[in-house]
Amino acid sequence: MQARQLGKTVSSEGEKLTILHEISFSVPTGASLAVVGRSGSGKSSLLALLAGLDTPSVGEVILAGAALQTLDEDGRAAVRGRCAGFVFQSFQLLPELTALENVMLPLELAGVRGAEAQALQWLERVELGHRLHHLPRQLSGGEQQRVALARAFAPGPQILFADEPTGSLDSATGAVVADLLFALNREMGTTLVLVTHDDTLAQRCSHQLRLQAGQMIDWQVPAQTAALEQAA
Amino acid sequence: MSAGILSQLRLTARLFRRSLAAGEYKTLLLALIIAIAALTAVGMLTERVERQLLGQASELQAADAVLSSDHPIPPKFASLAAQQRLASAEMAIFPSMVSFGQEASLASVKAVGAAYPLRGQLSLQSGATQAPQPGEALIDARLRDVLQIQVGQQLKVGQLQLTVRDIITREPDAAFDFSSLQARLMINAADLPASGLLGFGSRVKYRLLLAGEPAAVNAWLAAAQPQLGRGEAIENARESRPELKEAIERAERFLRLASLLAGVLAAVAIVLAARRFALRHFDTVALLRTLGASQRRVRALMLAQMLLLAGVAALAGGALAWLAQAGLLWLIAAQLPAPLPPASLWPWLWASALGLVLLLGAAGPVLLSLARTPPLRVLRRELTVDVHWFWQYALTLLAMMGILLQIAKDIKLAVIVGGGMLGALLLLAALGWLLLQALQRWRWQGSARLALRQMLRQPGLLLAQLAALTLGLCGLWLLTVVQSDLLQAWRAQVPPEAPNHFVINLQPEQIATFNAQFAAAGLPAPKVQPMIRGRWTLHNQQPVQPQQYSEPRAQRLSEREFNLSWGEDERADNQRVQGPPLNAAVPGWSVEQELAVLLGIKIGDQLTFDIAGTAVTAPVINLRAVNWGSFRANFFVVGSEQLLRDLPSSRISSFYLPPAQRTLVPQLVRGMPNLTIIDVGQVLAQVETVITLASSALRLVFVMCVLAGLTVLLAALETNDSERRREAALMRALGASTARIARIWWLESLLLGALAGLLAGTLAALGAWYVATAVLKLPWVFNVWLPLASIVAGMALSGLTVWRRLWALARTSPVLMLRE
Repeated sequence: MQARQLGKTVSSEGEKLTILHEISFSVPTGASLAVVGRSGSGKSSLLALLAGLDTPSVGEVILAGAALQTLDEDGRAAVRGRCAGFVFQSFQLLPELTALENVMLPLELAGVRGAEAQALQWLERVELGHRLHHLPRQLSGGEQQRVALARAFAPGPQILFADEPTGSLDSATGAVVADLLFALNREMGTTLVLVTHDDTLAQRCSHQLRLQAGQMIDWQVPAQTAALEQAA
Repeated sequence: MSAGILSQLRLTARLFRRSLAAGEYKTLLLALIIAIAALTAVGMLTERVERQLLGQASELQAADAVLSSDHPIPPKFASLAAQQRLASAEMAIFPSMVSFGQEASLASVKAVGAAYPLRGQLSLQSGATQAPQPGEALIDARLRDVLQIQVGQQLKVGQLQLTVRDIITREPDAAFDFSSLQARLMINAADLPASGLLGFGSRVKYRLLLAGEPAAVNAWLAAAQPQLGRGEAIENARESRPELKEAIERAERFLRLASLLAGVLAAVAIVLAARRFALRHFDTVALLRTLGASQRRVRALMLAQMLLLAGVAALAGGALAWLAQAGLLWLIAAQLPAPLPPASLWPWLWASALGLVLLLGAAGPVLLSLARTPPLRVLRRELTVDVHWFWQYALTLLAMMGILLQIAKDIKLAVIVGGGMLGALLLLAALGWLLLQALQRWRWQGSARLALRQMLRQPGLLLAQLAALTLGLCGLWLLTVVQSDLLQAWRAQVPPEAPNHFVINLQPEQIATFNAQFAAAGLPAPKVQPMIRGRWTLHNQQPVQPQQYSEPRAQRLSEREFNLSWGEDERADNQRVQGPPLNAAVPGWSVEQELAVLLGIKIGDQLTFDIAGTAVTAPVINLRAVNWGSFRANFFVVGSEQLLRDLPSSRISSFYLPPAQRTLVPQLVRGMPNLTIIDVGQVLAQVETVITLASSALRLVFVMCVLAGLTVLLAALETNDSERRREAALMRALGASTARIARIWWLESLLLGALAGLLAGTLAALGAWYVATAVLKLPWVFNVWLPLASIVAGMALSGLTVWRRLWALARTSPVLMLRE
């Protein structure tokens, strides 16, 4: 995944407001990137641009080989459907579907055969095999986020976008969910983009990008990667 | 089928099933079911009643269709009937002298084939039902009494000697056959050629009777109509009995109007529920888009959900309608002369199609624009999409107009009702707005100020709520309060002792004897009116020619001999609507207004009638409205006394004879053999059946309308239910007491309810007055209490939802509500 000169400007009451300034970086396949910063620093805006949920004012994003700015809304949706998974702070499970059906949703949207069996395996993987037919409101916050993790990993995405995945959970539950997230990520070899204001969580990622008022003020990569990049 | 389509179908079905179970579709589905059930039930009942009445009408003319002619019927009509596989029978009717020994009498001879009657049954004294064989004669009691003849004896007609086989007690087409003014002799058509009666100058009326499947009959009618020659006409039982025609038409108008209202109310509920449904689905769509669904796919998903919804509603609505109408008919079975024929599936299919059109019109644009929800909404909840409300309203209006047109089957009525509804809605919105503006100018304090501010925060929504609430209430009033009054007014038109017999051919010098017979039987003397037969020859000095009229009915009426009378007799069933009363001493005509419109007659026109060779000319002085359902003798054209008094005339009278005193009829005929007494009891009974059925059907439709009205109220009050709850949770979190929140809610909803109640009551009172006077032509008085009662009811209904919200508020913590 690459971001080149990425910027976003919005109009607010007639005034132009730049919320992201020329951000460039690249994350190799299988690596993990933590986007950190205070509230309002532009973390979620950056995630939205990287995932193609929003369009940049300038610059470009290459996601799984696709230049997102050359695609229309449906084209970007197709890229997301093909190679991206999502985990949100507010879980975003469909309230009228059961845990199992929520996990089946992306598989069915992608027209995968045997969606139910796969979803079942994933729910067992996140230790919710006994809660298959419960509706989201019948699950605790931690359980809901685990369902969301199963839903995100089930289609086997190349990239996983996680927006404050532990933000709505208490610290103990948050830790369990975070462990699960990283374990699955390692296991699946997924590229992870994690938005968080939690530095401990950020430390667990190979790359870190710090934002302040829309500017990238810090970019940390593992020593090995840095050496490689310098050599290149 | 590819795996993609299969999984899409499975996903659609699952989302639908789950949303259904979660109550997401509750209001939408309810509104749709009620719309479909109301339209189906009305359609089924009308169809069953119409089938029954058509059957009875067929009985009244002994056939499904009759072609009559003043010359032998060209064989082409019979071969057309053979092509349609219709049963047919030819018949000839003519007056002739019949004799037995020294006695002789003028009789109406009816020569029939063996197949007569094709519909209904011939009743004979012996219990037999067969038409006469060659060489046989059937006579009625009148002819038997006049000729003093017995069964088995031979009578003479023309050159025939026929044996009397039986006495006719009832001919199915007797009431229909007004030309049979004399006693009846029925013979076999095969005897006709030998009778020597069909010579030049004989006044024979030929008839071709036909019966078969309705579709085949209609096909024959369509094929035969353009081929009719001079003196040939297709007779219609409905038209020949104006009182039955009026009863059926009024019943149809009643039912149509009521089902229109149910349809419109349900449409309003659907619009409101669709809006709420759409607003609740932003999150789902945003998530689907995030997970890679294209806009097209989301649209397909939404469309499929709607189709499923319509399918479920069609099944449930159809079942409900079937149960409702079957239950209703079971309840009134005792009042019906015979079980109704079954209904077809057409009303249900139509209603389901209309329901789908309504749903697609009302909810389609909203649900389709949902597909444009930005996926970014998963991160920014405040992002929504501009829903094409304009398209929603435009399409809903279009769908509703289509439905109105389908139900009303009349563009003018559809436009009046549709335009009226739209006008009323706009008027309501404007009035509501003005009232709220006026309220805002007041210096309110505390809770009242907060309540008013909350109401005015979303003025568009508030006005929509107000209009919907008003419309719902208005529908309820129109139906519950007004319907019983309307039905009573209608029933009052046919009093329980409506005349069941008509007497014609009574001579002026017989009036004293006639009255004396009634006095002897202990009955009041019936009113006797003069009657003169006349042919209309000139209209403003121009000869009257049937070809000049485009309408077949006008052609027939212009050709027919008119029954004229003199002396105006203003009654409830016969009222002057335009022009001054007739002056007995000055020549002038008074014309029934519908006939005047049909034949293009206006006040001041000169009309000339040929009465027994005398041309009588006078100007039209006034127009009258006649209620043919009153079963009294009424005339299309009445002249001033001076104009007609000295011309040869007979008398007509009508009277009610209780079943126990039926013997008076043969007594009268024996004393005055020239009299013709027509028993209209059969027609009267049919009119009563129509009224019984129609009023029961109406009650059912009213129940449906009330349900539709309640759904509208529910949908209107639900529109911002969750917002209100969230606000309350916030206020409570900020420390407001439940009592304070309750006060605000109460004030808000009572104000809304009172406003809606006031507007609805006023509108309903005006609407009832309009419907009664203009559409159903019944007397009606403006009910001043209705608006007042309506205010109270509006407040109570609107208050119910506060109760529900308060109940929920007391049971849910602010955190949970905010999290919702």
